[in-house]
Amino acid sequence: MSGGGGLGVEELPRKEMNVLKGHEGAVLAARFNVDGNYCLSCGKDRTIRLWNPRRGIHIKTYKSHAREVRDVHCTPDNSKLCSCGGDRQIFYWDVSTGRVIRKFRGHDSEVNAVKFNEYASVVVSAGYDRSVRAWDCRSHSTEPIQIVDTFLDSVMSVCLTKSEIIAGSVDGTVRTFDIRIGREISDELGQPVNCISLSNDGNCILASCLDSTLRLLDRSTGELLQEYKGHTCKSYKMDCCLTNSDAHITGGSEDGFIYYWDLVDASVVSSFRAHTSVVTSVSYHPKDSCMITASVDGTIRVWGT
Amino acid sequence: MDSDEEDYVFYGTPIEREEEITSRKKKAVAEASGQLRTLAPWKQEVTDEEGRRRFHGAFTGGYSAGYYNTVGSKEGWTPQSFTSSRKNRAEIQQQSILNFLDDDEKGELEGRAVATSMQFDTFGFTAAELARKQVEKEQQKRPSIIPGPAPDEIVLPAADSIGVKLLLKMGWRHGHAIRDSRTNSLYDARREARKAFLALSSDDSAAMHAGFEPVKGDLDIAVDQPMDNDHQHPHSTPVYVLNPKQNLHGLGYDPFKHAPEFREKKRSRLPGNKELGHRKGFSMKDNLLAFRSGRTAPGFGIGALEELDAEDEDVYASGYDFEETYVQEIEEPLELSIESKKMLSGKEQGVLPGFKVASTSDYQLERSFCNTKSGSSDSGSKVAHWVVASGVTQQQGLRSQCSEATLGAQCSGERWRDCAAGFTRLKENNGRNFFAHFNCELLDFECDEVDEDHGAHEGCEGFTRGAKLWEAQQKRTEHKKLELDGKVFPSVQKMTAESRGKILGERPLERSSNDTSSASTSADIQLQFNLSDTFTKPASFNELPDVAKPFRDDPAKQGRFEQFLKEKYHGGLRSKDSSGSSYMSEAARAREKLEFEAAAEAIRTGKWGKETGLANQQFIELSVTTGLQFTSAGLEQGSQEEELMKKMYPKREEFQWRPSPILCKRFDIMDPYMGKPPPPPRVRSKMDSLIFMPDSVKHAQVEETKAYSDSLPVPQSGMEDISKKEADREVEVDVEVENVERPVDLYKAIFSDDSDDEEESSSVNQMEDPQKKVEAANTTLNRLIAGDFLESLGKELGLEVPPDLLPHLENKAMTSASQKENDSANKGQINAFVSENKSSSTLNTVNRTFINQDTEESKEYQRDDVVESSGNIIKTLSSEKKSGKVELGKVAQVDRINRTPSDRHRNRSSSSSEDERRRKRSRRHRHRSSNSDSDTSDSSDDYRDRHHSRSKGRKQESSREKSSSRKHSKHRKRDRRDSLGRSHRDSEKDRETAKREKRR
Repeated sequence: MSGGGGLGVEELPRKEMNVLKGHEGAVLAARFNVDGNYCLSCGKDRTIRLWNPRRGIHIKTYKSHAREVRDVHCTPDNSKLCSCGGDRQIFYWDVSTGRVIRKFRGHDSEVNAVKFNEYASVVVSAGYDRSVRAWDCRSHSTEPIQIVDTFLDSVMSVCLTKSEIIAGSVDGTVRTFDIRIGREISDELGQPVNCISLSNDGNCILASCLDSTLRLLDRSTGELLQEYKGHTCKSYKMDCCLTNSDAHITGGSEDGFIYYWDLVDASVVSSFRAHTSVVTSVSYHPKDSCMITASVDGTIRVWGT
Repeated sequence: MDSDEEDYVFYGTPIEREEEITSRKKKAVAEASGQLRTLAPWKQEVTDEEGRRRFHGAFTGGYSAGYYNTVGSKEGWTPQSFTSSRKNRAEIQQQSILNFLDDDEKGELEGRAVATSMQFDTFGFTAAELARKQVEKEQQKRPSIIPGPAPDEIVLPAADSIGVKLLLKMGWRHGHAIRDSRTNSLYDARREARKAFLALSSDDSAAMHAGFEPVKGDLDIAVDQPMDNDHQHPHSTPVYVLNPKQNLHGLGYDPFKHAPEFREKKRSRLPGNKELGHRKGFSMKDNLLAFRSGRTAPGFGIGALEELDAEDEDVYASGYDFEETYVQEIEEPLELSIESKKMLSGKEQGVLPGFKVASTSDYQLERSFCNTKSGSSDSGSKVAHWVVASGVTQQQGLRSQCSEATLGAQCSGERWRDCAAGFTRLKENNGRNFFAHFNCELLDFECDEVDEDHGAHEGCEGFTRGAKLWEAQQKRTEHKKLELDGKVFPSVQKMTAESRGKILGERPLERSSNDTSSASTSADIQLQFNLSDTFTKPASFNELPDVAKPFRDDPAKQGRFEQFLKEKYHGGLRSKDSSGSSYMSEAARAREKLEFEAAAEAIRTGKWGKETGLANQQFIELSVTTGLQFTSAGLEQGSQEEELMKKMYPKREEFQWRPSPILCKRFDIMDPYMGKPPPPPRVRSKMDSLIFMPDSVKHAQVEETKAYSDSLPVPQSGMEDISKKEADREVEVDVEVENVERPVDLYKAIFSDDSDDEEESSSVNQMEDPQKKVEAANTTLNRLIAGDFLESLGKELGLEVPPDLLPHLENKAMTSASQKENDSANKGQINAFVSENKSSSTLNTVNRTFINQDTEESKEYQRDDVVESSGNIIKTLSSEKKSGKVELGKVAQVDRINRTPSDRHRNRSSSSSEDERRRKRSRRHRHRSSNSDSDTSDSSDDYRDRHHSRSKGRKQESSREKSSSRKHSKHRKRDRRDSLGRSHRDSEKDRETAKREKRR
């Protein structure tokens, strides 16, 4: 609809379109799928739920985790899911049947984040055990094919590009592991990194730090481009992301607000109360002006213009 | 059958009965199957299984009976009394004896029953009984928690106790308090009233008094009666009436047995103020009864295979620690304040402006008076007296100890009389408009007397206060009357001091601290502030919220600041902990207080409101300074640090990282480390990560040294010595690191043990059996042909060929000797290092490790070789740099030092560009030597290794060394050209060189 181009403030998704209710207890993550027609959520009730955010319909529930589910990701072809959580396992699901294809065990502690690579052949997970692990979906092995343990503290978030694994950790670093050249590039921010998010052009990393600041880093040089403040983020794992036009930055706050910043001048363009409690997750639609937010209050809200 | 019949001879005629029977049978069957159905029911015959007609009865003469010989009927059978329980569930059938009696029996029964009539209710039993029934009715109207009939029978005693009987004999009447007769109390009350009037009495008050008294007397008779009952019966009403059971606990169960502080809260929640109570209840975080509805604990099981740690114990709590307390804690005081405001809102408008709680002693006095009053006056009508009296005493109190104050008299008598008249009038009406009227009157009374004495004014206020109180009480009694038909007063509440205070909007007395929970105290504090809001007129700071908000950006803080101001400027109501936020630390609180002080001062002196902007700035400065002044490691410094941090961060570092081949494959990327030996298998244990510092730390150390070297002035040709030493130091450091991380040795140890053994053994004892050497040479040759042992090849391609490694047939001794020289020369310089590296047992290894770096050198060297050789391609490379053969060492040295910042940076490996360049080069060689380039980087490493030593040696030694090495290189070059015939040629060349060296 309004893909690309500089979105005006009025075109930011600020109107509540739908409320997705069903989770019992906090929702820890909500993610659009690749084309943005569906979204996945997971929460403390140990379930993963598949929704149609546009119509507000709950489609399916995936139950198998023994603890809270902290992150979920879907393959580009929508056929598989991966999820992770407090039970130290990564589950590899079949979307249609709802069955677990494989369980990857190996993390010594809770797993915070999980992502598929471009070809959906590898699941990369980041855990509280200070490691990032890569798991092979193609073979039947359930052993990690790569363990990165250079982190000094819990790894909170992981992002993948075609050739890189980027992970943010509580030790204050954002580390980029470039598979192509075999290098690890560590950008130390000095503050615990809560969540990282790639810009859509792939040139910047947005890192949410626990000093209530979002930091935008240039990936090639590692310099700090901008800082975004105003929200509260001190103790929760909360997502942040860029809008699909890369014109604004959005993130939740611990007081239930959602903030929009201008990318360039870092001013708070808009903020409004979206939830009654901590906004744990935000996910921006890949094409449209639409966003979903998840909160500790157990709801997922769909925002549109 | 026919044949059988032929054989037999039959005598006599056959009995036909058989056939008959069979035919009948057939007929029966046929009938049963078909035609019978077609017949009308009455035409049908009932037959038995034999087909015979069946008759009813024992004898064969009757007819078919019943409905087809059954007990059924055409309509089927349904029990008459059946009712479906689907719609209306089993109702308890009320059975009484009357159901089973005939009319005449009933008549008999009625005649025999004995009951007291209302007229002869001597002991008031019937009245009590009636009251109880009333209550029961009420109870039924109320939604009772316990379903089913009210369990009154359980509660009621079966018979009067002996005590009751005794009391009855002593003259106590059922339904009355066990007290002295009411005349007494009445008398008391009257006396009080009279006192009050005495106080009021002026010269003209006598008439008024006279006028007033008789009216009251009438009232005692007329109006008092019902109210009297209202107030007296409660004393003796049964317990169950007073405390109707409203919870679901078992009888006699006290949920607050061990937590009495909650009882108070619970109690305050229950009566009258329901809407308040509920909201409050939910807001209370630690309320026992309010369930944590917000956070639903997912009560699912946990996997059986999951091992539980100590941390895992709170499975059903919040694994992620999303405790809403965090947010709530902020909101709670807000909420509370809202509530308490609401609570007060009703009263606030009524509270007279300018009224101030003067001092506690007064207050106490008044209070005590009220208490005694409310205690002694048990009839509602006495309130009238009370009002007046309290009004007077109020005055008295305010006039501080003037015992029989004449002040009240100062207010004009007519007015009072008017008031009194209105009062009585209203009493007669007993209506609610009383107060409207009364207040109106008071109002113009006030208006008139504005200019008059202050004391009178206050007295009037006191009066209004009393009136209000009375109103409230009146309202209540009315309410109850509606409920209870004026007989029994279920929620007996006489006006207690508390409730009175509530109505008047007064601050309750300090409760004993142990029976109030923390939450309630905080609520109290809040209340206090609000009260102080109502009672005190914050003249100077009323406009503050509009104009001066020094902490505008922090609303919570602003709120605290305002409280602080209130406390500061309006005495009396001071809470214990000054800044209400409980989550602040002691130090923070202190700091804030100081800040507030400063701000308040600034506001007071600088007239905040007028020059806001300036003052604002001023204040900000002020706060800043205070912040700086009073915090040791406070905010300001913190922010400075932050600034520093900002400058410092983000900090970028780069490390080597080796992706696993399969990961590369899955990512569809070529493995950058393809063909390289795998990294040394690190000890994977938890201890590992605990004990050893991470690689980055080492790295940092290295960087430090590097920085150190950088900081030194870059030595030019004249400063070679220093530079050398420095370089040595660097090398030492580097070597250390290299030793830790270098994978090659281990690899060798695993995969090339035999050759290594050879190496070592031969280096130790150089003179060996030539036969053995030949064998070794052969094996190596085989390997080379097979091309599987790339490392040895790499070494070979490297400039320094250890004599023992490759198959030299003879003269090994000489080359190694030269090598040794080299070594010893190096050793001279790096004795310390060698001693450090004792662990690496053989000299060779020491040498190699020592030599590790110095890539530039190697390059130069290589280039020389190339130049000498006919390789055209590499000439371009050599053109980059000086390729002079003279003073190679020096050039290299300078070059290296210049390059250190960028080059030495990567200590785990060389920088990538270097690496790649080298790799390319080596690849070229490799191609020439018909080898796969699978081992590129490793071999290049080896290059570097070798050349370090070489360069070092050269630096120290004479040009002789150089020349020899050059010669070496020649051989090698040739080697590269042809790998197959190399061994032989090598040996030849070696022989030559050895000879040459010997000659020298």
